[in-house]
Amino acid sequence: MAENSNSSADLAMNSAPQGQQKMDLLVGYLLLCGVLLSMALIISGMVWRFIRIGQLSVSQKLAGMNLFEFVVSEARIVLADRLRPRTLIACGIAVLMLTPYLRVLASMLYFMFALKNWKYTLFTAIVLGVLTFSLFIR
Amino acid sequence: MVPFYLLFPVAILAGFVGAMSGMGGGIILIPALTLLGVDIKQAIAISILSVIATSSGSASAYVRDHITNLKIGMFLEMFTILGALAGAAITLAISPRPLYIAFGFVLLGSWLALLIAGHESWHEGAQDSISNWLELEGSYFDQAQGAIISYRARRAYLGAPLMFGAGIIAGLLGIGAGAVKVLIQDLIMGLPPKVSTTTSNLIIGVTALAGTSVYLVHGLINPGLAAPVVVGVVVGAFVGTRVLVRISNRSVRQFFLIILIALAVEMLFRGIRGS
Repeated sequence: MAENSNSSADLAMNSAPQGQQKMDLLVGYLLLCGVLLSMALIISGMVWRFIRIGQLSVSQKLAGMNLFEFVVSEARIVLADRLRPRTLIACGIAVLMLTPYLRVLASMLYFMFALKNWKYTLFTAIVLGVLTFSLFIR
Repeated sequence: MVPFYLLFPVAILAGFVGAMSGMGGGIILIPALTLLGVDIKQAIAISILSVIATSSGSASAYVRDHITNLKIGMFLEMFTILGALAGAAITLAISPRPLYIAFGFVLLGSWLALLIAGHESWHEGAQDSISNWLELEGSYFDQAQGAIISYRARRAYLGAPLMFGAGIIAGLLGIGAGAVKVLIQDLIMGLPPKVSTTTSNLIIGVTALAGTSVYLVHGLINPGLAAPVVVGVVVGAFVGTRVLVRISNRSVRQFFLIILIALAVEMLFRGIRGS
């Protein structure tokens, strides 16, 4: 019995770091792609505006809406084929805000399915729950 | 409306200095934006949005190098995001003057911390049962020492509520509050400095998101103002982390001490006099 638990502990020791390393890569690349995509969107929005209007400053107010309303309203503009520089900038901001959110979501799924670590699945689920709540605040 | 030709260079400078000093862009960006005439609450909101970008950008590299401890990060995040929501709610409710004063004190505190910064070596300590149950441990390859360093965190029951406090500061003032988070992980939880700085970086991104969403709902994030600032801060931070290796630590410290004390006096003065 004692030997059994020892060997399973050894196995866990050997496999955990490897699973953890894959998770590091997943989280790392997710963060990198999110930031790069958001910067690309914001910069192209600013450049497009400069080419069209010859001015880099945008005066654009966001009447209080939460991220999901914000994303929906921008998506409507894109679907209605009224893509404008300000839409790109708004999408860039939305992508930026969704980057850490998706990082937490991906970590939760990884803890759940790959590592089968229920304790940390719960912890990340709590973080995700609070973040989702904050993104839906009115 | 602040013109682009002023906003963009100021943002680059803030990101550059923030990355060079390791204190993040917000602590320079917010005083600079208020000097340009931006309302302090708007400056806080835009700063915390740009904190998401700089934190995620640098965290991505540290995580891929396997230095960041994801478990410790995820555990502590539960507390910082609640703090950030509370902090941002306080900012929305109060008048600007106490914000100037609070910011002045944070700048003074950072100045003091930099002045008396000692480099205590890290010692491994015994782990308590709670931290053990929370699986707060790990190892990383230290390039300077050329060895694998294994460590176990301790006193998670103290670290967690203190992280809630760090979250309040982050949400309230729109900064990463990385220095506070590093201090908690170093002194209370006994983590090696490299692990605490990189893990704090990961936590900052999610904490900033919680604060940002509160400011977004209240219409304080103006994309016209935010776009050049976020891009500028990211560009500045990117350059700053690369220059860091070339400039001696001593001159960076001297330069930053002067900037911090000047901004602290300026913010306190505006808070007391009322701008």
